[in-house]
Amino acid sequence: MNDVIVVGSGPGGTSAAARLVESGRRVLMLDFGNRDDRYKGLVPERPFLELRQSDPQQHRYFLGEHFEGIPFGGVRVGAQLTPPRAYALADAAERLPIEAPGFAASASLARGGLGVAWGAGVFPFSDDELRSMGVDLATMQPHYDAVAARIGVSGAQDDLLRFYPPSPSMMPALDADTTGDVVLAGYERRSKALNAEGFFLGRPRIAVTSQPFRGRAAYPYHDLDFWADPGRSIYRPQWTLDELEREPGFSYRPRLLVERFVEHAGGVRVEATHADSGAREVHEARALVLAAGTFGTARLVLRSLERYETPVPLVSNPYTYVPTLNLRMLGREARDRRSSQGQLTALLVREQPQRRLVQAQVFSYRSLLTFKLMKELPLAAGHSRRILQVLMSCFTILGIHHEDRPTPAKTCTLRRGAAGGPDVLHIDYRPSAAEERTQHDDERALLGHFRRLGCLPLKRIRPGHGSSIHYAGTFPISADARPLTCDRDGRLRETRAVYLADGSVFPWLPPKGLTFNIMANADRVGAIVAEHLRWRRWQ
Amino acid sequence: MGTPTTSDVGYIPPAVSEVMPDDSVLEAEARIFARYLVGRTPAPEVALRYRDASRALWPAAPAPGDARRLAFVRRHPWSVGPLDAAAALLDPTGQLRSKVLVTAAILETTTAHADDFLPRTLPLPALFLRLAVSGAAAVAAAVLGALLWPLAGRSRP
Repeated sequence: MNDVIVVGSGPGGTSAAARLVESGRRVLMLDFGNRDDRYKGLVPERPFLELRQSDPQQHRYFLGEHFEGIPFGGVRVGAQLTPPRAYALADAAERLPIEAPGFAASASLARGGLGVAWGAGVFPFSDDELRSMGVDLATMQPHYDAVAARIGVSGAQDDLLRFYPPSPSMMPALDADTTGDVVLAGYERRSKALNAEGFFLGRPRIAVTSQPFRGRAAYPYHDLDFWADPGRSIYRPQWTLDELEREPGFSYRPRLLVERFVEHAGGVRVEATHADSGAREVHEARALVLAAGTFGTARLVLRSLERYETPVPLVSNPYTYVPTLNLRMLGREARDRRSSQGQLTALLVREQPQRRLVQAQVFSYRSLLTFKLMKELPLAAGHSRRILQVLMSCFTILGIHHEDRPTPAKTCTLRRGAAGGPDVLHIDYRPSAAEERTQHDDERALLGHFRRLGCLPLKRIRPGHGSSIHYAGTFPISADARPLTCDRDGRLRETRAVYLADGSVFPWLPPKGLTFNIMANADRVGAIVAEHLRWRRWQ
Repeated sequence: MGTPTTSDVGYIPPAVSEVMPDDSVLEAEARIFARYLVGRTPAPEVALRYRDASRALWPAAPAPGDARRLAFVRRHPWSVGPLDAAAALLDPTGQLRSKVLVTAAILETTTAHADDFLPRTLPLPALFLRLAVSGAAAVAAAVLGALLWPLAGRSRP
């Protein structure tokens, strides 16, 4: 029998599995495991500008073989999911239906989960934030460090250090592009005054290798991050999965849709259906780690525990894009050597009505192509092209994240599928007027600071609830032994050996990227499960 | 209610050309839109890609108003700029505007036209001059387009 079954190959599943295998446990990973068969290898490993001027096949990956990369209508959730990344969401809507009026619920059945398209941000939660979640930084720090050493993190020692403590394995930060340099120079000239008002700016902490690392190349500055993974320098969970597949204690079983789990005296039985043949499979292990993504895990837990029609909480960081015109870039030539990643990270500390953070990532715009901006301008396209061509380098895009806390109006409920069809997850997400007012005020304050740095906001774009693609809080860690919560170890209450290792366990979301925290917590859960197995804690 | 048949009172089946324009019509559209966007005859592959894109993205017949405006543009290529300017304000998701943007996407990802879309740095005086000229031209195009819009929408398909 396997020691542990891990369900899902995303950031949580691979991190938990890596820690379990490192601890000498036999791990079986069950996964749907979609891969990109259409675009892989189609994007040459050459810089963006060179491709644009010389690759006659570029329309195939930039626009898609069926022109699916040409968007119509307003800015939608997942606008950064280019044709080569779209497989991240393939099959999920049909296999795992979600009914979510007014909420964008993205789920993945890809090898690597939603991590195949994540923004690579590394933003560990603070001690205060972790304590409010039932853990603390002293507990989590070794896992933050272990994950950083596994995935490769680059960053700088700057004003953000007080919010994001350094990790021992941290590589030097990637070089900023011209926009990043210009905005940061403006900040450094008046940092004392800005800091006094709670505004801090620095280089982002990201899971990208600035030096060769574990068989991955140093970042090549091709500016193709939305389209390809040259040199595998940007971390994706499938890199860890590739490493795990070389380990004797690990086996990977793709093309499976896990249906339910059942505990028995000897361990856990997991039932799954083969994606192609429809055949039923049963796998057994002493413990189970669920990391199928917040929605995938919610479906599995609620079905296995027969909790249909039982609402559980759901949180998701509210997200706003703000294109700004960076006046200090007017007439200035932008360097070609650049990344498509966030160039800077801004944090605003707000004190009223209670202390909270607002975080923004600062991006330049080029590699997502000009025609997508032409669509947004209320001008004739011919004139838009001429205007954008000379202003493109001046566009600085802010991606603003807000915190989110659970309320009775933000829930997720499993309903039985009709006539043998798959069960449907129903999402009801209605933030209060007070929450939206606070977010609006926080954005206004943040944009005021960017105005002082020369970035004039042009428009606030809210693609809709769920647009951050950060979902959490369905089975939160809780000190109260309530049903459908987890204990401090990440073990699901009412079970003996079922652990959760994805976003499900975070009771609320600070305004930071969630993925790195999922990985660190999954590493912690993996260590706990390995220890429990060692001491036969359940017997 | 089923699919209407010729025996249904008042139902006239659409002509094939109304369901999907033939290749030569689509290629003519591509040339008109491309010349409007980049000011010169497009590379041959642009028309072929536009044809493929049109078939993939708009398999059904356009709405009557869209069909009339597209036909108007094919008969009067000079009108595409003003009508596109009007569409950007009055009908940003309509087929005329969408087809112009698809042409822009195809041009942008064609090596012969990539430079027309890549960022360009101008000295500040030249930059402000370009912004002023383009802005004024855009306003003039929108005014003319708003006048043309109802006329083109009522023209023969």
